[in-house]
Amino acid sequence: MKTSEQRDLFPGALEMMVLRTLKRQPLHGYALVQHIKRISNDLLQIEEGSLYPALQRLLKEGLVKAEWGISATNRRVRVYKLTPAGVKHLEREVSSFERMLDGITRVLAPERP
Amino acid sequence: MNWFRQLFTRRKLYNDLSEEIQQHLHEKVEELVAAGMPRKDAEAAARREFGNMTLTEERSREVWQWPTIESFLADIRFGGRMLRKTPAITCVALLSIALGIGANTAIFSLLDSVMLRMLPVQKPDELAQVAMRRPRAPNRPQEVFTNPLWEQVRDHQTVFSGVFAWSQLDFNLANGGEAENVHGLYVSGEYFNTLGVAPAVGRLLIAEDDRRGCPGAAVLSYGFWQQHYGGAESAIGSPIRLDGHSFPVIGVTPPAFFGTDVGQHFEVVIPMCAEAIIAGKQSLLDERSGWWMTVMGRLKPGVSPEQATAGLNVLAPEILTAAVPLGVKPSSQQDFRSRTFTTLPAGTGLSHLRRRYTRPLEALMVVVGLVLLIACANIASLMLARSAARQKEIAVRFSLGASRTRLIRQVLTESILLSTAGALLGLLFARWGEALLVRMVSTNRVKVFLDLSMNRGVLLFTAGIAILTGLLFGVLPAFRGTRVSLVSAMKGGDRQGDEGRSRFLSGRLIVSVQVALSLLLLVGTGLFVRTFRNLLTLDLGFDAKHVLLVSTSIENANIPETARLSTYGQMLERLGAIPRVVSVSQCLFTPLFGYMWSNSIQVDGGQNPSSGDPEVYFNWITPGYFSTMRTPLLAGRTLDANDTLSSPPVAVVNETMAQHFFPNENPIGKYFRIGDPPKADAQTLQIVGIVKDSKYESSLREPAPPFAYFPAAQVKDLPNSSNFELRTAVDPNSVIPSVRDAMAGVNKAASLQFVTLERQVDDTLVQERLLATLSAFFGGLALLLTAIGLYGVMAYVVSQRTHEIGIRMALGANPRSVLRLVMGDVATLLAAGVAAGALASYWATRLTQQFLFGVQARDALTVVFAVAALFAVALFASYLPARRAMRVDPMIALRYE
Repeated sequence: MKTSEQRDLFPGALEMMVLRTLKRQPLHGYALVQHIKRISNDLLQIEEGSLYPALQRLLKEGLVKAEWGISATNRRVRVYKLTPAGVKHLEREVSSFERMLDGITRVLAPERP
Repeated sequence: MNWFRQLFTRRKLYNDLSEEIQQHLHEKVEELVAAGMPRKDAEAAARREFGNMTLTEERSREVWQWPTIESFLADIRFGGRMLRKTPAITCVALLSIALGIGANTAIFSLLDSVMLRMLPVQKPDELAQVAMRRPRAPNRPQEVFTNPLWEQVRDHQTVFSGVFAWSQLDFNLANGGEAENVHGLYVSGEYFNTLGVAPAVGRLLIAEDDRRGCPGAAVLSYGFWQQHYGGAESAIGSPIRLDGHSFPVIGVTPPAFFGTDVGQHFEVVIPMCAEAIIAGKQSLLDERSGWWMTVMGRLKPGVSPEQATAGLNVLAPEILTAAVPLGVKPSSQQDFRSRTFTTLPAGTGLSHLRRRYTRPLEALMVVVGLVLLIACANIASLMLARSAARQKEIAVRFSLGASRTRLIRQVLTESILLSTAGALLGLLFARWGEALLVRMVSTNRVKVFLDLSMNRGVLLFTAGIAILTGLLFGVLPAFRGTRVSLVSAMKGGDRQGDEGRSRFLSGRLIVSVQVALSLLLLVGTGLFVRTFRNLLTLDLGFDAKHVLLVSTSIENANIPETARLSTYGQMLERLGAIPRVVSVSQCLFTPLFGYMWSNSIQVDGGQNPSSGDPEVYFNWITPGYFSTMRTPLLAGRTLDANDTLSSPPVAVVNETMAQHFFPNENPIGKYFRIGDPPKADAQTLQIVGIVKDSKYESSLREPAPPFAYFPAAQVKDLPNSSNFELRTAVDPNSVIPSVRDAMAGVNKAASLQFVTLERQVDDTLVQERLLATLSAFFGGLALLLTAIGLYGVMAYVVSQRTHEIGIRMALGANPRSVLRLVMGDVATLLAAGVAAGALASYWATRLTQQFLFGVQARDALTVVFAVAALFAVALFASYLPARRAMRVDPMIALRYE
């Protein structure tokens, strides 16, 4: 659940993070949420309500693949894997994000005397 | 093809998704349990943290869909299911929309074909009719031309790229015996060329076919060619006999071309010059006082109608002088020469229907519009009642995360679904209704023909009103119905909540509006029905029952003028000998026949004629006429067998003529002469009797004009066409075969046409019958719809108040006071509606004045009747729910909680 201090992510941010996480290792939905939460030091909390539609979008666009498997806790889970197209997409997205971040940082930087 | 595969693999996708989300939740619970939380709390916490599962799943599924279309389709499917769930309401709603839309489509389609649709010719908007403005009546242009005048226009005009004239006339295909008439057209040579009509087969008439002294040639309409020749090409070149004259068939017009007169169609076309062959000695080709043709032209490119008018008027003095009528008063000639030309837009064709039926059709359009509004109100209140019953469903959908917009869309989709289905059904009704309407406006002599094939305009109109009505009756229930307080709705109790009451209010408001609209319609219906009844029961001056009229022409029988009287005499004798024929007579024109003969008269010894005197109408008759028609003799004697060519000329006049020309004196024995001034050889007629006034003109509304009858035996040149009247003791149609035999016994070449006098009278009341019958039908429909609406709302109110009524009864209220409680509700609704309706009708019925006869637009009695009818029906409709309220068992009502 969202608290008032949390901000909405900008469009595409969730997909980017999901892709990045999946690039490291294939995961299922629940693990994805946990992973992003842990990595971001609890700063980012993914809502299930957004995650599943986002995963479906990625599936549809062919950026990820899904397969049923068994988890470490012996649970039937659907594991998502990055496709080559997903890798390329991630690279593009990250570089365009970095450019944007660079721009924003410049604007926000304290004025030099 | 990805999306295509998706369509089939989607179920698997959805199942995967569903399972995945379930697993997600379980995993969360397990984790919390592992962290030491009790399972029950863990489940709640996991659910809370996850949020709205259904919504998440739905959003995720939407990724795979075309959201708008698919949710629309889902809405439609769901809407269909909801409509099927309440079949009674759905049927009533569907039927009322279908009737409403069907009626609107039918009337609009008629209006469209009579007034709006362009002729199916090349660039119809370039066509302009040529008419003349008379200085004495500048606002009523004269549209008919004489042939000499037309020839002048044709030969001198410079503003049209082509100009043509035509005239309609029926031709007889039969050689004697019962006439077999076809609708004919005389056209000038440039008719087809200027219109840009191409032949379906053979060739059409061209300028060379229309030269004075031409042999004539015939063009057939496509329908006639199919019907009479089976569409055989061999028809071309074969002869066709029209009024006993033979013409070669040269071609066939295309199927969609019905001529330039909307409301009629032609079957055979012959050139104008052939009129000399058909009419023989009576040809009108050189007659400067014979008005029988209409003139139209195609404007030259870049010439505006105003420029065309101006161009024609430059030539007007020359043209008019060359065609000035001869043998009339010099003042009339001067009037004629001072006329000017004008052009009227003619792209939609010309139509006598337009003049006659535009106003009635517009009135009917208002009537059916009101019916549709009432139907909408009806459905709105039904939907409102239903949406109240659906409160729980809607509350459930809200709590599952549906947005209000989404729910409104759902309800509106249902409305549109309903109205679209209604419109489709309505189109069927309309097809049937249109045919019926055309039959209703057709008379024995004028068979109305309209091209009512479905066209884009009509379909657009229907689609438009379908959507409009769907929105109209859907919006209120959609907004009201989706304003649900979740808590109270889910609790299921507290039916008297705020939203309950306000929904109530809108339901009542709708019913009041319905009552008001119905009253408006009923008042209109009352006025039209009374008008019709007044005209039906009007004293015609003759008895129309059991009279057969036989219109006869002996044109092709080769009987010399001198022998006509004796031929007619033999016919009368044979007709009189037919069993069950009570009496028989002959005359020039039968009453309400449509043709009249009138002239000024000069009274000798009476009041001096002044220019303000009305013209007198004439008829020649045989001695049995007044007894056959049952027109009472008021004074003097009738005409008898002693009035012959060798006895002094006599006449019988009607009351109006007696009163007008001989006020305060006895007209019997007085003399008059026909004409002002009378021709040198005009007879001096002595008045020998006075008869009661009879209606003669084609409208029953007109008072009888001055009228004089004189004996057929004293007419020197009896015409070759006339009418016989037979009063019969049985159904007049049953003697037709005997009449055919009797007439053939005298002369086989005599052509015959039959109609009963009753039908001839009826045919003058087409407009009134149309308005009365249709408004009565729609008034009844409105009443029925209002009753249904009232019943629905009252049933709903009672069901909503069952609890309250139960408490009242438990506290000692008796059934009577409960009845008063519920009926008090109805009375308020009715009173409000009636008051509004009465006010509206006071204002609106003024518009009906022009259609009325013998009744004022603001007729109190009609309003009282309408209100009484409305009250009776409304009370009956609400009594059933009220009775249910009376029988509420307090125990059950209270236990219901």
